[in-house]
Amino acid sequence: MQVVAFYRNPAWQLELRQGVRAALPAAPGVVAWGLVTGVAMVKSGLAVPWAIAISLLVYAGSAQLATLPLIVAGQPFWIVALAAFVTNLRFVIYSASLRRWFETYSQRRRAVLGYFTGDFTFAMFMERVRREGEFAHCDAWFLGACGFNWVVWQVTSIVGILAATAIPSEWGLQFAGTLALLALAIPLCLEWPGLAGAAVAAPIAVLARGLPFGLGLFAGIVAGICAAVAVDAVVGRRKATVQREGDELS
Amino acid sequence: MNVNMLLVTIGMVLATFMTRAALLLAGQRFKLSPRVEAALRFAPACALAVLIVPEVLVQAGTVNLSFDNPRLAAALAATAFFLWKRSMVGCIVVGMLVVTAFRFV
Repeated sequence: MQVVAFYRNPAWQLELRQGVRAALPAAPGVVAWGLVTGVAMVKSGLAVPWAIAISLLVYAGSAQLATLPLIVAGQPFWIVALAAFVTNLRFVIYSASLRRWFETYSQRRRAVLGYFTGDFTFAMFMERVRREGEFAHCDAWFLGACGFNWVVWQVTSIVGILAATAIPSEWGLQFAGTLALLALAIPLCLEWPGLAGAAVAAPIAVLARGLPFGLGLFAGIVAGICAAVAVDAVVGRRKATVQREGDELS
Repeated sequence: MNVNMLLVTIGMVLATFMTRAALLLAGQRFKLSPRVEAALRFAPACALAVLIVPEVLVQAGTVNLSFDNPRLAAALAATAFFLWKRSMVGCIVVGMLVVTAFRFV
């Protein structure tokens, strides 16, 4: 019997398409964010070929923007790399969350899934497993959503790089990206633990915005998760009490 | 060939790849305690909050909590619309319309 490649499996392909479909509504936000990143890279003085190379290979909008002043100032490469690492620290939390869902896949596939991880797709994937738990071919769904985001972001980022002078930054386009994230966040905040986490995380990020390389964001996320866990414990205990009282009555 | 830019690019690729993939690659060798694993389900809400709220509230470096902050008004309108229609595209459109309206008023 011939071994069929995993991507030829119709069920795998179906999940891939479902992933693309799930990522579709966020496209306007990704378009805006890609454009803005591309424009910013060139306007800060980066040469067009390097801007394209960094966009295609690094694929980390916030890290690219945070390191721009360092690159343009001619800082040594290891300083730039360190800054990119710190700016991207939130992805360590993302990958820690994703690890258990992908642990059975091959090293190569996990490397690919890791490279493609983004803020949008992480939140979307976690929402799906929260609703449905483990599902078959979750790598395909993740890859579909991430791959679609990657293509949209790369195309618009390169358009931004090439047409930088034609796109004024005063348009405030990047806010469309924020609004797409908002639509992902609202359902999560309709439950007490999620709301508590967000309510603790956000003010910390605002107050600590002066810290370099988005360290305030990282601190906010960690504190927010702790708050959510605490509230979850209280809510869980109250639910258990209500249920016990109900059992005693019946 | 600009050697420094080549090093910068390679360094950024490695640094950002490490943050995203190192724990995935560790796989079974990196087991978190069940409590931490359970806590991580709240990571999306917190991560989204820190990405959104500073963008909405901070205007030219200072926090603006009043309704003449276009982004705050836009975010509130977009939230209301999303709660009503559950549409991400609608949320983006409404928010951008409000922000644009502020520019012309």
